[in-house]
Amino acid sequence: MWKICGNSKAEPVLFAAAINDDYQPTWRLWGEERVDGAIYTVYLKKVRYHRPTRSASSESDDEISHLEWETVRVRFVKAGTVERLVEALATDDGELESTYVNVFLATYRSFAECSRVLDLLLRRYEALASEEVLPTASDNSQQHRKTLVACLHVWLDTYPEDFRQPPHHPALQQLLAFTQLHLPGSELHLKVLQKLAVFSAERNGGTSAGTGAGVCLAPGMRLTAHHTSTYRLPHVPHRHFAEQLTRMDMELFKKLVPHQCLGAIWSRRDKDRSHDAATVLATVNQFNAVSFRVISTVLVEPNLRPLERADILAAWLDIARELRVLKNFSSLKAIISGLQSNPVYRLRKTWALLAKEKSELFEELARIFSEDNNRWAQRELLMREGTAKFADTVGENDRQLQKLLHERGSPGVSHGTIPYLGTFLTDLTMIDTAIPDTVADGLINFDKRRKEFEVLAQIKLLQGAANAYHLPCDAMFDRWFDSVIILDDREAYQLSCQIEPPTNPPKDRRPKKINDNNNQGHRKNDSIASTSSSNSSQFYCETDGAGNAWKRDSLERRTSPTRLSHGSSSSSLPSLDVSLSSANSGQKPANGKVTATSPAYANTRNGPDFYIIRVTYESDCVETEGVVLYKSIMLSNNERTPQVIRNAMLKLNLDGDPDTYTLAQVLPDREMVLPANANVYYAVNTAYNLNFILRPRKIQPAELMVNGKVRNKRS
Amino acid sequence: MYAKSRTVPTAQYTLHTRSNAKIISHECRARARQCSGVEVELSGTKMTRPGPPSENLPTVKLVVVGDGGVGKSAITIQFFQKLFVTDYDPTIEDSYIQHTEVDGQWCILDVLDTAGQEEFSAMREQYMRKGDGFLLVYSVTDAQSYQNIRHFHTQILRVKDRESYPMLVAANKVDLVGARCVSEEAGRELARQLAAPYIETSAKEPPLNIDAAFHELVRIIRRHPQQEEKQRRRRRFFGRCALL
Repeated sequence: MWKICGNSKAEPVLFAAAINDDYQPTWRLWGEERVDGAIYTVYLKKVRYHRPTRSASSESDDEISHLEWETVRVRFVKAGTVERLVEALATDDGELESTYVNVFLATYRSFAECSRVLDLLLRRYEALASEEVLPTASDNSQQHRKTLVACLHVWLDTYPEDFRQPPHHPALQQLLAFTQLHLPGSELHLKVLQKLAVFSAERNGGTSAGTGAGVCLAPGMRLTAHHTSTYRLPHVPHRHFAEQLTRMDMELFKKLVPHQCLGAIWSRRDKDRSHDAATVLATVNQFNAVSFRVISTVLVEPNLRPLERADILAAWLDIARELRVLKNFSSLKAIISGLQSNPVYRLRKTWALLAKEKSELFEELARIFSEDNNRWAQRELLMREGTAKFADTVGENDRQLQKLLHERGSPGVSHGTIPYLGTFLTDLTMIDTAIPDTVADGLINFDKRRKEFEVLAQIKLLQGAANAYHLPCDAMFDRWFDSVIILDDREAYQLSCQIEPPTNPPKDRRPKKINDNNNQGHRKNDSIASTSSSNSSQFYCETDGAGNAWKRDSLERRTSPTRLSHGSSSSSLPSLDVSLSSANSGQKPANGKVTATSPAYANTRNGPDFYIIRVTYESDCVETEGVVLYKSIMLSNNERTPQVIRNAMLKLNLDGDPDTYTLAQVLPDREMVLPANANVYYAVNTAYNLNFILRPRKIQPAELMVNGKVRNKRS
Repeated sequence: MYAKSRTVPTAQYTLHTRSNAKIISHECRARARQCSGVEVELSGTKMTRPGPPSENLPTVKLVVVGDGGVGKSAITIQFFQKLFVTDYDPTIEDSYIQHTEVDGQWCILDVLDTAGQEEFSAMREQYMRKGDGFLLVYSVTDAQSYQNIRHFHTQILRVKDRESYPMLVAANKVDLVGARCVSEEAGRELARQLAAPYIETSAKEPPLNIDAAFHELVRIIRRHPQQEEKQRRRRRFFGRCALL
C-alpha cells in the first residue's frame, strides 16, 4: 500500500512510509483510474482548509472541527508507458513530485535507457514551450517546464554517472544543445558545461578520480612485502585493525551505486556484463577477502600449539567486537562468517581453549546475523542504529556486548554505519522475482519500482551516514592485508584436517596415530607409508571437470578488469590456480607420505602434500628500493619447474614464456638454481625458509654452445 | 538530520510490517490447529504430540542452494506467494515460513533462500550449517550451474560432517524447452551419483512440481530421523565445549 504524499518539499523522502489506515485516517483509497497509457491509484486525502500553526500532531488533527478540512484527490502512477512515466515527473498542476522523481531516477534503468528518458523529457519540455503561444494555461505550462528543469538538476546532481558515456558523452551533448537553445545562460546550462569540462578533463588527464582508489587503498600488485609487515596475529591492535577494515569498507560503500543492486541489474546480469554491477561486486569481493583472511590466518600455520591458535581466534573476535562498536556490519559479518566457515569452525579443540567470555562474545556477535525469522535481528538492528550516532543496541542476553557498551559509555565521536549488503541484495532479488515488471497491456509496473526504492533509499541513507567516519589510512595495514595468503576451499579444509583430523570415519583412526608421531621432527626422506589415503577424499566426489569449471568461473570473475577491489582479491587469484594441481594430487592414493618440520609452512600430516613457498621477482629494471617483495604460492608434490614458474609468474603478474625465467631457492650462503625440469617439491631444501627468486634467464655461454646457435631470448 | 525527520514514518513502517506478519502467522497457526484437530479425531489415540499441536509443530529448516540465475528465488516465491497474493514484502519476519501438511503430518517449513548473495562465497557454510535439508537447484539451460551442484553437495557434506544428508536435486526451468542443454538423463545420473532424488521444476505459470519439491524434501528429511538426532547431540556437545 503506497500512499506517499507527493507534494513534499524538495528534500528527498528517503524512507518511504507505508502508512496504515489505522494510523492515518486522513488517507483513504478511492480506487484505480485508467487513462490511455497509464493506471493511477487514487486516494482521497483530507487536508487543512485553513493553515493554522504547525504544532498539532496527527492524532489531534481529527479532533479539530471538520470545517477546517477539505478532501482532495491525490493520484499516484501505478503503471504506465515510459512516456507517461516521464510526464508524471510533474503533477497535473505542474508541481515537482519529489518522491516520484526520486523513485523514477533511482530505478528507471530497469525499464528504459538513459538516452530515451532524456529524449522524452526534453521533448516534453519543447511541447510545453510551444503550447505557450496559446493564451490558455500558460501559467501551468510555465510551472511544468520549471519542474522539468528541476528534474534535470536532480538527475545531473544525483546520477552524474548516467551522463558519463565516454568518449563523447552523447546525452550531455544533447542536453547542452537543448540548454543553448532554450535556456541559454541558465543555471542548468552552466551545470552542463561544467560537467562536460570535468568529464573531458578526466579523459585527457588520464586520472579518473571516480574509478581509482586512493593511493593508500591500492597497493600495487607486487607490493607484498612480508618482511616489512610488522603485523602478525594475534598480537595486533584490535581497534586499529577494525578501523582499517572499516576504512576499506567505507571507501567501497560510499562508491556503491545503489541502483546496481536492483534485481534487474545485479541478479539478472550476464557474466560478461558484470561491469554493470562493478561497485556491488567490489563490495562482495572485499567481504570475501576479509573472511578469507580470517580463515587463512587461523589455519596457515599447522604447527601452532592449540593455545596459540585459540589466541588468533580471540584476536579476530576482539577485532569483530570493535567493528560492532564502529557499526561496520559488513566486515563484522565477514569475520563471523570466516570463524563459522567449516575449516575453522570444526576445530573443536581450539575453540574449547577459548576463554569463556570470548565464546560468549562469539555467540552474541553471531546472533546478530542469525538467519532466523528472515534475518530479523539484523534488520531491526540496522533500523535502530542505521543513522544513530553510535552503537547502543544490545539484546537482553548479550552479556559481553552489554559490558562493552557500558565500558565505552557514549563515545565522543559518532560513527557511520556500514551494512552487510547481502541482505539488501536478497530483498531486491526477491522483489524483482515476486513482482512483475509489467501489468496489463504491457504497462511498466511502477509500483514495483516504488517497492524497490524503499530498499535503495535505505542504502542511500546509510551511505550518507557513512560520511561520519573519519579514519586514518595505514599503508602498513594494507600491506599486511595484501600479504595474507589466500586458501581456497579445498586447501583450507585440508589444512584444517591436518590440525584436527576428522573423527568421523573410524578406519582413519589408526593411521592418525602414526601420523601424530610423524609430526615430531620427522624429516622429509624418512617417509612412512600411510595406509590411509587422504582423509578428506571421501568428501570429494567432484570430477576434475566440475572442479576446474568451478574454479575457472570464479577465476574469471576475479580477474574481471572492471573489478574495483584492490589487491585483496588479486592475491587470491594465483592460489586458486595452483590449487588445481594440489587438488588433483589429493585424489591420488598418497604413497610415501612425507612430512617435514621446517621453518616453512609445510604440510605435515596426511593429506596431499604441498608447501607454501614465497617467490620474489628480480630483474634489472625493477628497482624496489631494498625491499624484498614476496608472493606466496602453493607447491604440490607433482609440480615441475616450468609449472612452478608459471604459477609464480601468474602471481607476480608477469607475462611471457616460462622458459625464459629461472627459479632459485635462497639459502643462507648461496642460491640453488632449480634444474629446468626438476620436481620442485622434492628438490627444495626444507631445512631453510622456502624463499625463491624468479629472474629472467641469462643466456649462458655454455648454453649457447650446446644449442649451437645464438638465441636472443630476452628480446 | 535525516534520522530525526524520518523517525515517525520508520516506526510506523515497522509497526505496519510487524503487525502484518503477526496476522499472517496467526492465520497459519489457526489453520494448522484446525487441521491437526481433525487429525486428532481421526487418528484417535495415535496422536503423539502432547499439548496444543500448534505449539509443538516441528520446524523444518530448508535451504535452497544453487548458482545465481538458476531461478532459486522464483521457486521460493512461487512456493510462498500464495500467502501474499496482493503485496509481497520480502523484509517481514515470516516471509519464508509456511505451515504445511506432508503425508498427514503438519510442520512449519522455514525456507532460507539467499538468492542474490551467491557471490558472498565466504558466508555460504555459515547458513548451510543451519539447514535440515537442501534443495540443490540448477537450471537446465545452464550447464555450469549443473556442474556446480557437485560442489554444493560436497560443501554441505563437509559442513555437516556426514557421508549423506537430506538433499533433493531440482532441475529448474524445464519450461524453457528450446534453451535446454542439460538433459533429464544427465540430471538423473548426477542425482544418482549424489545419492539424492531428482525432480524437474518450473516456477513459471503454471508451476510444475514446486510444492512437490518442498514436500519431497520434507519426506527425505523424515526418512533420516536418526541422523537428525545425532546431529543435534553433536551440536549440543559442541556448544558446551565452546562454552567451557
